[in-house]
Amino acid sequence: MRELELYFGPQHLGMVGNFSITLKVEGDRIKKADANPGYLHRGFEKLMEYRTWMQNFPLVCRINVVEPDHIELIYSMGVEKLAGIDVPLRGKFIRSIYCELARVGSHLFGLWAYSNMLGFDTVAQWAMYHRDLVLDLFEELTGARVYHIYIRPGGVRRDFPQGFEDKIISTLHSIGGKVPDYNATFFENRLFEKRAKGVGTLTRENAVKWGAVGHAMRATGMKYDIRKIEPYAAYDQVEWEVPTRNEGDAYSRLLAIRDEMIESVHMIFKLIDKMPKKGAVYTKTPNPFQWKIPAGEAYVRCESSRGELGLYIVSDGGDKPYRVHFRTPSYSHGLTILEKVLEGESIADVGNIMISLYVVAPEIDR
Amino acid sequence: MKTLKKKIESSFDNINITVTDNNMDISIDKNGIVTLLSFLKNMGYEHLALISCVDLPDEKLLEIVYILSAYMENDKKFTEKEARNIIVKTRIPRDKANFVTVIDIFENAEPYERELHELFGIHFQGHPRLTPLFLELEYKIPPFRKDFDTRKFVKQFFENIPAVE
Repeated sequence: MRELELYFGPQHLGMVGNFSITLKVEGDRIKKADANPGYLHRGFEKLMEYRTWMQNFPLVCRINVVEPDHIELIYSMGVEKLAGIDVPLRGKFIRSIYCELARVGSHLFGLWAYSNMLGFDTVAQWAMYHRDLVLDLFEELTGARVYHIYIRPGGVRRDFPQGFEDKIISTLHSIGGKVPDYNATFFENRLFEKRAKGVGTLTRENAVKWGAVGHAMRATGMKYDIRKIEPYAAYDQVEWEVPTRNEGDAYSRLLAIRDEMIESVHMIFKLIDKMPKKGAVYTKTPNPFQWKIPAGEAYVRCESSRGELGLYIVSDGGDKPYRVHFRTPSYSHGLTILEKVLEGESIADVGNIMISLYVVAPEIDR
Repeated sequence: MKTLKKKIESSFDNINITVTDNNMDISIDKNGIVTLLSFLKNMGYEHLALISCVDLPDEKLLEIVYILSAYMENDKKFTEKEARNIIVKTRIPRDKANFVTVIDIFENAEPYERELHELFGIHFQGHPRLTPLFLELEYKIPPFRKDFDTRKFVKQFFENIPAVE
């Protein structure tokens, strides 16, 4: 059979974001896939070397459009580690609650992308609506819907407004009440099973070899979660479980996302119960225009909704970072794993595999 | 962690190890990097989290940084090893930036090395495709090096584009 070269994306219905894949196909089977990132490369890491420690916040949150919160968190953690700043306990709890809300919102967005791609328009509309409810919470808390710039070195920008905890609980109850409907129409639907089961399978050995993290790793049965391994914020203060699946295909990755969302909601309830009712939410930091951080370097990591997010940050003792490098989960998912997993799959499943791996283009390009 | 430190110190010369609360920093001569990385991989640190590079123009060196951590062995219990990051550093000359690839040890090193080739101008010998990853143009000075003048570049590049009427 004749071999053809096909360009998949960046303008394609099955492609989310500015990313493309060059496919070599025979019939409808993929023989080789080449990922082409770079449509969104803005050189953030270079730009950050020209801005002061505090000025960098509006830049870092744009590294991941879908959930900027974890990037803010990791940058703050890096600066705190370099400057030796501690976060007050209430600040830590607020950070955890805020990041879990962001995880729920991001997973709902992922569910929208996935179900939309498979043609489940109703589920996609629900997911988008429920994400909007989470964004409303963010709007009340921070004044912005998408790029919040709420976390800062030393804690968070401001305390919860009065009665905000109750609002979080009632919003999450209204989203949680829809879970049986989501199950009936999507997760237990035979059409979804037929499209996703056995597609894009990642075995445990390959996952380890190719550097998988996050839900892709947990879908192969490993309880690999940075929140447990290297607890930050308030994740060591409450009891929670790491949900896993065993098959490693797109189906189990999606179910891992659903279970993680449910676990996050339960975790938020526990965190709100245990949170100190009063106290400071941030430690005072020096004047941002004159803030010099001692020379040194740090590597910090956290668990974003896509997986292990790391930051290598170097200071030369000045008022700006000397070198910043983000280790984003989509990088190895989109450039290594996607290329290898696509071999032998059919053209119709490219979007299916890519969205189930949760690849976001701006995170790769930075 | 102490036993691992002793083990590394006894098997490699010219090595400098410091252990901080959650990280272990290893500085090694550039010739020993492949053996050290495969040694660490056999010790269970099989997750390559990041390959980064720091430009040091005053010393005329580039510092290449490998960050490793461990996946979980036991799914029920977390061990001390899993909570640690190992940061391996080595320095190469800045004007003749040639280095060896580590794809044979870690397969996911491929895009990281491609990125460093493009942004820092490091040539990784043995890398199967050192093609451009992000950038469209060719630059005389690799853009992430400290001596790349961003203002000059912007002026040169955008001045010649006519204004839209």
